[in-house]
Amino acid sequence: MKLYYFSEMPHHEYPDAEGDKYPSLRLAFPNRFFDPGKAAENYQRYFAEYELADQVGFDGLMINEHHSTPSCVDVGVNMTAAVLGRTTKRAKILILGNILPVEDNPVRMAEQLAMADLVSNGRVLSGFVRGVGVEQWWANANPVHNRERFQECHDLILKCWTEPGPFRWEGKHYHFRHVNPWCLPLQKPHPPIWIPGTASPETAIWAGQRGYTYVPFLVPFEIARELFEFYRQGAAEVGRTATPDNFGFLICAVTADTKAKAIEAGRHFVWRMGPTLRGPIDWFQPVGMRSRAGKQFALKARPRSLATMSYEDLLAANLIIAGTPDEVADKFALVHRELGVGHLLLEAQESRMDHETTARSIELMGAKIIPLTSKL
Amino acid sequence: MNPREETIAVGGVDVHTWISGQGDPLLVLHGAGGNRGFTRSMRALAERYTVYAPTHPGFGRSGDAEWMDGIDDLARFHLWFMEAAGLRRPHLLGHSIGGWTAAEMATMSPGSIDRLVLVAPVGLKPETGEILDVFFYSPQQLRDLTVHDPKTIPEWDELYGKPPTPAELEIVERNREMTARLTWKPYMHNPRLPRFLSRVTNPALIVWGREDQIVPVACGEQYRRLLPNATLHVFDHCGHLPPIEQPDAFARLVLDFLGGGAR
Repeated sequence: MKLYYFSEMPHHEYPDAEGDKYPSLRLAFPNRFFDPGKAAENYQRYFAEYELADQVGFDGLMINEHHSTPSCVDVGVNMTAAVLGRTTKRAKILILGNILPVEDNPVRMAEQLAMADLVSNGRVLSGFVRGVGVEQWWANANPVHNRERFQECHDLILKCWTEPGPFRWEGKHYHFRHVNPWCLPLQKPHPPIWIPGTASPETAIWAGQRGYTYVPFLVPFEIARELFEFYRQGAAEVGRTATPDNFGFLICAVTADTKAKAIEAGRHFVWRMGPTLRGPIDWFQPVGMRSRAGKQFALKARPRSLATMSYEDLLAANLIIAGTPDEVADKFALVHRELGVGHLLLEAQESRMDHETTARSIELMGAKIIPLTSKL
Repeated sequence: MNPREETIAVGGVDVHTWISGQGDPLLVLHGAGGNRGFTRSMRALAERYTVYAPTHPGFGRSGDAEWMDGIDDLARFHLWFMEAAGLRRPHLLGHSIGGWTAAEMATMSPGSIDRLVLVAPVGLKPETGEILDVFFYSPQQLRDLTVHDPKTIPEWDELYGKPPTPAELEIVERNREMTARLTWKPYMHNPRLPRFLSRVTNPALIVWGREDQIVPVACGEQYRRLLPNATLHVFDHCGHLPPIEQPDAFARLVLDFLGGGAR
């Protein structure tokens, strides 16, 4: 099983009491609380931590993108990928992902991803996501078109990568008369495509039909298994058999020299489960964004919202794993046994977890955990 | 007279339609909240006119029209509806997005309609203030923002007194989704509409509530200025729903304007 290091590059640099005054930390929390000096320092350390993860043997470095929120100030994954392409040497760069439905120029996105793949010497894993509702508001993109635009943007990017130009594209949402990108990926036919999932059976089936790597985020194990079943259905429809390499899972994890230190550090993950997800439903899931089937499955997938779970609940559900290296390695083995995944994505830094704690956790994972999990 | 329900097929869409009354035809186009049918003010209008109240495609019990992309599509559609329903030069009354639709219809085919009543229509970008981003608020919050004072509304209990059934909630969701399809960007207005309105010489009545928190009353003044033959009436102590909030005064005003006020 391969391990991936991931930080949302949070900007938790304001008094929490200020954030509590607003209906949500997303969209509504005024950006006068953004501290450019702190942000500049943080980018340095976040990149240093990614570089350390590369050096100690992580298989991949995962990055993601959000907007208008202190929970994630990685506002351009393709920029981040380009930086990591130069400052790291061997780990894959897992972009999970570009938010396709809010993208107005898929040709430029195809070019940027190709450039990141070239700069990194073919290390890009290209994730495509539908985004949370907040990104629809940020981009003022009609949520009713989310699924259609995801599909069409994906199709055009793939065509840019796999069919010789010049060609014309006249779809429903995208129109380009002269497509001929002079920047193509190093990996052939194109960088591997990854798709995250939280609750849409359709997305799992769709990913299965295409043989993409599918990764549920922070859902109970039984829900992940159900989503994998949908994926297998999709794969079977086209005569494909899914392998562990097609499946990943994302959890939060930290280790330390002592159990007490690890348990203390793990508390930082609670911020991303509650406060950063607080807000009106219409902001996170605007009208028309989710299909009826997706909505019904979502209700089942999250019998309890993450926000209502205590730290102890989250530890018990293995959505957060915190402990000594041996304990954490055992838990990773458990995830592997339970879900049969080939990729385990670790959100391994959050909130105000400091550099020292984060770096020590990365070092210990490299020294004591990766050698064990790589054999799974 | 009890209203009757008909399904009228127009351009491949089954349009659920309430019909009631007697006299010349009056076509009524509902707002984003959906087709409320024959409420008190509508019943009063139906005493003098044959009122046709179709449910827009994608709303309520009408068929889907996912191909529609803007209010101009809906306006073309309702011009077809007039033909399909056999309405010759009806008076046209529209509320909120129905008012915008009515205004667009008048710019497309001014000769096919008689008098025009626009009730708190969206469609113009306010010169001062903003049209509330209705998708940013829950349906419950919107209900409170939509009316000025529930206590003054005679039909409040009838319309809002009971918790909605699951089937009604489905329709609320469906109405919201179709509204998003039609109005998301540019939000609730057509930047070219001011250019078109100057050609609409039909007599027009613009109706607004002084306390409208959804669409600024300033838009009423803009419509009045842009339409060559329009008057503006503003109700005090009234929000975005004059036909519901002040049904009797609203019906009297409209009947007077349409010429049916005196027997």
